[in-house]
Formats: sequence, structure tokens, C-alpha cells
Amino acid sequence: MKIEGEYTFDGPREVVWVLVRDPEVLATCLPGTQSLRLVGENEYEGEINVRIGPIAGVFSGRLIVSDEAPPESCTLTGEGKGKPGFVKGSGNVQLFEQADNKTLMKYDGEVQIGGRLASVGQRMIDTVSKSMIGQGLGVLNEAIKARVLARAEAKEVEYTPPSETEFAAAVAKDMAGGLLSSKLFLWLALAVIAVILVVIVWLSVG
Amino acid sequence: MTKKFIGKRVKRNEDPRLLTGQALFVDDVEIPGMLHAAFLRSDYAHARLLSIDVSAARQRPGVVAVFTAEDMGEDWQPGPPLVSPPPTAKDVIFHSRRQVPLVKDKVRHAGEAIAVVIAESRYIAEDAVEDILVELEPLEAVSDLEKSLQEGSTLVHDDLESNLAAHLIQKKGDYEAAREKADLVITRRIVTDRGAAAAMENRGIVAHWDEKSQHLTVWDTTQAPIPIRNGLAARLGLSANQVRVIAPFVGGGFGPKMMMFYPEEMLIPWASMKLSRPIKWIEDRRENFYATTQERGQNHDVELALSRDGHILGLKDVFLHDTGAYDPYGLTIPLNTQCHLMGPYDIENFTSEVSVVFTNKTLVTPVRGAGRPQGIFIIERLLDIAAKELGIDQVEIRKRNLIPPEAFPYEHKIIDQAFAPLVLDSGNYWPVMKKALDMIGYDQFVKEEQPRLRAEGKYVGIGITPFIESTGVGPYEGARVTVEASGKVFVATGVGTQGQGHFTTFAQIVAEQLGVAVSDVRIVTGDTTEFHWGTGTFASRGAVVAGNAIHASASIVRQKVLKLACKILETPEEELELECGLVRVADTPHKSISLGELALLANPLRGAVEPGTEPGLEATAYFGPQYGATAFGTHAMIIEIDPETMMIAIKRYITVEDCGTVLNPLILEGQIHGGVSMGIGNAYYEKLHFDENGQLLNASFADYLIPSATEMPRIEVGHVETTSPLNELGTKGVGEAGTIPVPALFSQAIENALYNRELEILETPLSPNRLFELLVNEEKSR
Amino acid sequence: MQNSFNIAVTVNDTRYERAVEPRILLSDFLRHDLGLTGTHVGCEHGVCGACTILFDGQPARSCLVFAVQAHGHKITTVEGLGTIDNLHPIQEAFHEAHGLQCGFCTPGILTTIVPFLEQNPDPSEEEIREAISGNLCRCTGYQHIVDAVKLAAEKMRK
Repeated sequence: MKIEGEYTFDGPREVVWVLVRDPEVLATCLPGTQSLRLVGENEYEGEINVRIGPIAGVFSGRLIVSDEAPPESCTLTGEGKGKPGFVKGSGNVQLFEQADNKTLMKYDGEVQIGGRLASVGQRMIDTVSKSMIGQGLGVLNEAIKARVLARAEAKEVEYTPPSETEFAAAVAKDMAGGLLSSKLFLWLALAVIAVILVVIVWLSVG
Repeated sequence: MTKKFIGKRVKRNEDPRLLTGQALFVDDVEIPGMLHAAFLRSDYAHARLLSIDVSAARQRPGVVAVFTAEDMGEDWQPGPPLVSPPPTAKDVIFHSRRQVPLVKDKVRHAGEAIAVVIAESRYIAEDAVEDILVELEPLEAVSDLEKSLQEGSTLVHDDLESNLAAHLIQKKGDYEAAREKADLVITRRIVTDRGAAAAMENRGIVAHWDEKSQHLTVWDTTQAPIPIRNGLAARLGLSANQVRVIAPFVGGGFGPKMMMFYPEEMLIPWASMKLSRPIKWIEDRRENFYATTQERGQNHDVELALSRDGHILGLKDVFLHDTGAYDPYGLTIPLNTQCHLMGPYDIENFTSEVSVVFTNKTLVTPVRGAGRPQGIFIIERLLDIAAKELGIDQVEIRKRNLIPPEAFPYEHKIIDQAFAPLVLDSGNYWPVMKKALDMIGYDQFVKEEQPRLRAEGKYVGIGITPFIESTGVGPYEGARVTVEASGKVFVATGVGTQGQGHFTTFAQIVAEQLGVAVSDVRIVTGDTTEFHWGTGTFASRGAVVAGNAIHASASIVRQKVLKLACKILETPEEELELECGLVRVADTPHKSISLGELALLANPLRGAVEPGTEPGLEATAYFGPQYGATAFGTHAMIIEIDPETMMIAIKRYITVEDCGTVLNPLILEGQIHGGVSMGIGNAYYEKLHFDENGQLLNASFADYLIPSATEMPRIEVGHVETTSPLNELGTKGVGEAGTIPVPALFSQAIENALYNRELEILETPLSPNRLFELLVNEEKSR
Repeated sequence: MQNSFNIAVTVNDTRYERAVEPRILLSDFLRHDLGLTGTHVGCEHGVCGACTILFDGQPARSCLVFAVQAHGHKITTVEGLGTIDNLHPIQEAFHEAHGLQCGFCTPGILTTIVPFLEQNPDPSEEEIREAISGNLCRCTGYQHIVDAVKLAAEKMRK
């Protein structure tokens, strides 16, 4: 499966770069992330707890950042495994400076999935992934805005990441149209959410 | 002699039990102390098994055992080879690689079983499957047939030089010489892809090893209980009479349940013996999509050489056949494809070269049609293209090439799936095709209706597709027919039944001989204790092979009845008739004796049974045909395509079948309706989507769409009877007939409906999406 | 997960009281706890319709319902329609019109048809096809099922 898109962050490129390379920030941006650890120079390991309906389980993932050109671009390669299946992929992330202190992120990647995620979730993935990535990057943008604001006002960062439930609800809302018109059942859709969460880890880490 | 029972629309004996929920299916078997199994299956299509840790699973309360390949020790062995290549074929390459009970070194397709958990309930077993830690090193997977054969491709079986599983060339006449003389040579690449059998009942096994009696009883959703019994006995070190395999009511077979020794089929009985406990395993639907065999992936590079007047001079086909990760079924499917490539046509020059290819996908074994739909799709597509290029009518080009009635038996001089030379035993093809044309009103539609509807802006099309079906192959079946003291007749035969109505059609055959009511004939199929010789229900052979064995047994019993009654009624045999459960003197009907009384007299408590005779009114007989009987049929269809959605509305659907003697038209129609329904699925709804990594992307009924009542048209069925000279009843099989021509028919009708587009369909299955894509491509290429 | 709940369910007019785990599906409860194996399970994801039962008179997929949810409700399975010696008119019609082959999907179709014919005693072919479109059958191509439903409607109108 190919994933590509772009997103504009409300902050300067340096801030975006620093934040997306900070595992702790990322962990708070992505509800369900149990941990995200720097295990090598450019290598992360993490667990994300996917606990939505019957698709409950921990995905363990590993991510390698390479071809890094701060604060412009990098390549991500990673894989994740969990009870609902596995995900493998790689992608490129580029950051472009924009007017008004904004930053444009362009990303594209190729992701392979297997197991239950693939066999029962495939049909939904394309549409759902767009929604999921949008949601994930939106959360990250809130963090960036909070950082920018804090910097401007020289005070503590105040930012509360959304809860797992809020996050899932937002995605479910985006998916509702597709769900209602098909015979597909919720658990199929939820399987897809699991994979996308992992995808976001990689993309947003960049 | 006019028939009293054969050929009648008799209602089915088996229905009342099925209708009231009283029929036994495998999952209905309950045994005190029974355990339940669940399998850990690979998410990867191709991976090396590095380590497996089942300790947590073993500790879960309620878990009785967890087995891996390692735990099986010496008992771990690949399944037996089912079908070797035909011994008479020349220069065959064949690498036999059979499925394994549990993965030992390497996973070769997604869904392959790695470990089995046996627990007090299925719920606990499934929990424990999640406790197993397995370390797999993913390997590059091969999914595409051509890529699989390319140099340097990942190997499915590391000990082979390539992914070539088998290679075979079959020839008739001299194609190259024929090509030289041709006015037109059509060359195309035609691709067929996979579908699932998707029987409504998934597979299931209950195995019960009774330590005290040293007996193993296995309930199995198999189409072949006797070979399963034989194989289990051999593998488990038991005598065949210690093993009883029962195929009770089975919720649809369609081929994959003929596959023998699925890993679970060997493991569950093995585990039952290890644990001395009864064990049940019922496949779930997702497992069925991965672990039950599939079919129809082939790539064909074909050439058809014709003369200007549309006569076929020769056909050449070089094709790849996808066998999946293993090839237990040998060359059965590609041989069937080769034997159907020439369809019902008189083709003198033929070359066919098949390469069977291993891929990292689920195993391929026959699915209703079994290679035949592919063959028919190829030849019919080529004829449609030829008709367009030569400016000859679609029907006319076929008529010119049909094998004429005087040419039967028609020898094709190639070898079929039963290793016999392909001989079409009998037929009279044109009247069948003509009947289909008349029923659908071909001329009227083409000349009047279609132009009118096109003028209204409608996309209406017509298709007409003749086809053959090789059926009723050997080696043999047998049956025992017994008249009981109650006057009822008991029949035991080895074939299993999966909804074909055997309890009724077989009873009709017996009733015809013995003059009893059809409802007074009790049939047992698929219980190895009741009858222990036979092969199974496949290749549209039940009614032909088992039917004729039953007919033979019943005929012998009839002779015994007459002989005994002749003495007792003191009337010559010729003057006796069997009617209403009695033997009576034809012109003095009150002078009679019931079959029950005769059965008692034939099995006396005192006196002597004469030397050279046997007690009872019972006989066992076998039937083995010299070669298969070949049926013929024609399907015709009128469709309307919605140009916005590409949904197809089937306005009329006609089938005319010539399957020899019709035993029961009601049941025959049912078989055809069901076959067409699967064919429509194959043609326009059902496709198993594997990605390039061997992952199946639509493993549920929400994504894999089998036709529902709203997609199915009303089917009008016509019959023509050309009896087969190969058996006494004159029957030919029909079980797969409905499925075979449908993809070819759809392509023809779609092209006909989209008359203003340059569309050439060279693939099946299609779908509304795919048709839309093809039209977009067509527009781009204009 | 091991906690059991006491439930009371009326199935085919018989009241059953059982302790069940909350995760036990109604289909498994009917089949394995009560031994009513006429209800078949074909897909476990609510598409095929083989496991259809009547839940307070309305067709429902027993593979998508937990047994605990049936507490206090009235369930009818195929065993509650008719017996071998005394078939329900719908069962009779399926026998006469050859509306079944392997018979695996049949119980779910029969239970779907019962309320359908109550609400629509004289249905058209199109309405019948629509009514059974949630029940998959791989054997019959549906034609004889449609004929059987028509015949059943006739029988029941008499």
C-alpha cells in the first residue's frame, strides 16, 4: 500500500523538526503509545497499545531513521508486530519552510501489511489512512502550536494530548459514511485503525 | 421398458431431517470429555521459523496440550502424494512437495499451521494460541506466476532449482504445419485468477480414539472418507478395521473437501491418540480462506489458427498453472484444462505445454470445474475474437467447428486426468445448441429486440457458449444392496454426500430394479464401517460411477429375488413382476409374496442354504468405467449493463444440458442452478485478491462476495438426452456443468452489450470495478 | 473472563436457566450448551445468515449476539418450527420445491422466512429475493428457494 500526502504545521521548521525527533513528544501525541525509546543512534523501539473493541493487543515496533538532513528530510524504515498482524514499511518525509512561520510536511511511503489486518481490513485502509494520518498530524500540530506560543510568551508549555477515546471517536466519525453503506462490521474497521496507528508512529516520528 | 422411478421428479428422502435441524453435521458431534483444538497460523506468506515458545500457552488453565512440529517427533511427515503424473505421458517433470502437518522449518503460505492447542473449550484454545511466542524471519514471497519462474526468484522449496513444480507437453497432430496453412492466426495472453469454493460449512474434524476398544472414530467433512480411513490407518500404524471414518451430512463440498490429508485431518486424530481423548476442530471462516484449497490461477499464451471460413486448423497453448505452496494433487487440474481447451470442437492439431508453478499462496486443488472452466474460457474467447476478425456470426463459427454426431466416440489422442486417453464417448452437439438458441430467441433478439433497445440507449448483450464436461471417471465405486426382513432396502456405498441428493437418486435406481417405494430405500453414504471400498465424490462422478455400481448390485438382488420367488410362487421368472414391495405373478396379481417375506426365507434358521448360493437377498457389486463419460451443454444469456455502475442485470439465462439419462429432473435442475450461481460468482463477483507478498486481502464474506439471491437470475433449464454407451444407466455427470461456461459467457455477452467500445476481455474473474478499469484503459488507448 | 452469569432464556417455548461466561456467543450457547444443533454457523461475522434465529420473533444472527444478551428473551430456532412427522408449512414447501441441497444454510433461511411471510403473506419474487438476500446459499442458486417461499406463502394463506 502506498501512503502519501502533505500537512502544514503552524510553526517554524526547526521547531517541527525538534519535536518530531523527540520520542517523548511523540508518545504523548499518539494515545495508546506505551513507550517510544531511542535504542540506537537513529533507532527507536516502541510499544503501542491498541485497545479498541475486540482488536486488543500490543504492537511492538522498531523504527530506523536514515538519510537524515536536519531540518529538511529523512527516510524512515520500520516494522511492527502484534496479535492482529504485522506492518512493514519505509517512507520519506520532507519539511519545507513556508511563509508566516509555517512548515509544509510532504510524506510518501510504501507499507506492507499482513495477517488479520490485511485479510479483513484491506478495503478500508486507503480511505481510513488519510483520515488517521490527518488526525495524528493534527495532534502533533497542536503540540507545535503550544510550543510556539510558549516560546513567544516565555512560559511553560501547556498542552494536553487527546485521550485514546477521543482519538478513536474522531476517526470513527470520519469512517462512518463508508461503514454505513457497506456490509462491513465495526471490528473490521477497528482492525484497520490498529494498523494506521502504527503507520502514524513512523510518519509522525519523522 | 418405461421407467417407473428413474427420470421422475421425486422429492428428496433426506429433506425432513435437514429441514428440522435433525441432520448430523460434523460440528454437531458431542462426546463426553471432548476437547477442542485451535491452530496458530502464520501471518507471513514466506518466513523462516526461528523459534517457538509454547510454555505460556501450556500453563493457561484449561489447556491440555500444545503441539509443534518438534513435538510430533517421528510422526511428523508430509501428507501422502495423492495423484502422481500419468504414467503414460512422456517426458514429464514432476516435483512432488506435499503439505506438512505443522511448519517445521519454513512457512510457505499465509495461514499455514505452526502449532495446535488442545483445550477444554474452543474459547480457551483460542486464548492460548495468543500466548504462543513465535519468532519468524520474513522472507521475500513469490505470488506472481511469471515472477516465480524468473531466474533468481525466491524459492518456495529451497531444495529445488526453481519454482517449477511440473512440466508436461501434450500434442495431437502437427500444430506448426497447420499454422503454416492458416489464413488467420490469433495470438493472445489470457489470464484466469483464483476463487474460493466457499462451501457454507467450513471444514471440521472430530476424532475419538478409544483406548479400551483400540478403535479410532473420525467424523470428517471430507468428500473421500474411504481414502481418509486408509491413509489414517497407514500413518497411525493401525489396521484399517480399527479406523472408522464417517462423512455425515456435509454442508457443501465443491472440491476442496476432496483434498486429502489437510494438516488438521492428520493432526486431530493423531492428537486424540496421544491424549486418549476425543478432540474436535472446526475451521472458522477466516481459516477457510487461508487453509482450505483454492483454484483457477493460470496464465495462457495461446494461438488459434483458422481458415478464412472460420474452421479451426489448430490450437497451441503454453500456460502456467499456479499450484500454491505444495502440489499434492499432481497434474489433475492442468490436465483437465488441456482436455477442455479444444471444447466441443473438432480440432486436429493441438499442442499444449503446461508449467506448474509453486507460489507462496494457499494450496491449489480442484474446485467445482477443476481446470475445465479455464480451458473453455480460452477456446471460447479465441472463437469470439476469430468471429469478429473474420466477420462470421458468433453462433455460426461455433456450429462450423462442432464435432459432428457421426464422429463419436471421438478420440482426442491426449491423456486426461484419469490417465485414460481422452475420448468423447457420445454426443449430438448441434441440437443442444440449437435448443438453447430457440429457448432464448436468439434470432429475434439479435434482429429486432437488440436494435430497438440500443436505439433507446440501452447496453444489452447476448452470449451463447457451448461446452463439454468430462465426468464420471474411474477408478471405481461399489455398493451393497440388501433387502431387509421389513421389506425395506438398505444400500451402502462408499462415496460421501454433500447435498447432491444421493439419498434420493440412488434410491430411485434401486426402486427401479426392486419395485419398492423410493422412501423405502435407505441409503448410507460415507461411513467406512458400512462400506469400505471406494474413492470419493469428485469429478461429477457420484451418479455415474456409484450410481451404476448401485444399479449393478440392485440388478443382482433382483435376480436373487426372482429366483427365490419363482420357486415359492411356482411360476416361471419371466411371468413375475416386482411391484409395490411385492413379487407377483403378472396376470394374477393376488398371487404374490412380499420382499420382506422373501428376505426371511432367504436367510432361514433351519434347513440348508444350497451349495453355490448365498444367504439373504443381498449383493455387492462394483462399477469402473473404461474412461469418463463426456457431457455437453450450452448456456445462453441476455444482459443489460448499467454504464454508470457497471452492474449487470441478467435478463434471461438459459441452460441446455445433455448429461445422458436424467435420474431426477428436480435434483438435476438444482445442481445446474447451483453450478451457474458459482459460475456467476467466478465470472463477475468472486476473486481472491493476493498482494505481491502473498497476503490475501479479502478473507471474509464482507469482502469476498458470493452471489446472493438478488444477483441471481431465474434460470431456464432444457434437457437433451444422449445416453452414454459406457454404463448401463447411460448417465453422464452434471455436478460441475453449471459452473464451467459462465466466465466465457459473461465475457461474450459483455462485449456484445458494449458494442460501441473496442473492448476485448482477456481475463476472468471480472467485477464491476474491473470492467470499469478495462473501459477506462480502452478509452485511453483509442 | 471466567466469571459466569446466570441467565434464563426461553428457547422454543422451553425455559432454560444456565450459568454462562459473558463472552459465549448465543450461537455456541444454543448449539453446545442446549444441544440445539440445527442452528448452523457459517462465517462468525454476521454475513452468511446460516445462524439466523428468531429473537423475540425477529430474525437475528446468533453469531453476533452474546448468550447473556438473550437473558429474559424468547428465542426460536429451526427445531421450534416443525418436526419430521409434522413439518411447518414452510418446511413442507422447501421439501416439495427442492429448496435445499446440502441443507447447511437452510435453518437460517427458514427462520428468516417465518416473520417475512407473517408481514408479507403474498410476496412477489423480487420481495422474496430481497428478503433472503442476507442469507448465503452456495448450492441452490436460490431459484428453488424462491419457489419454495412462494409455495409456502400459498400454503399459509389457505
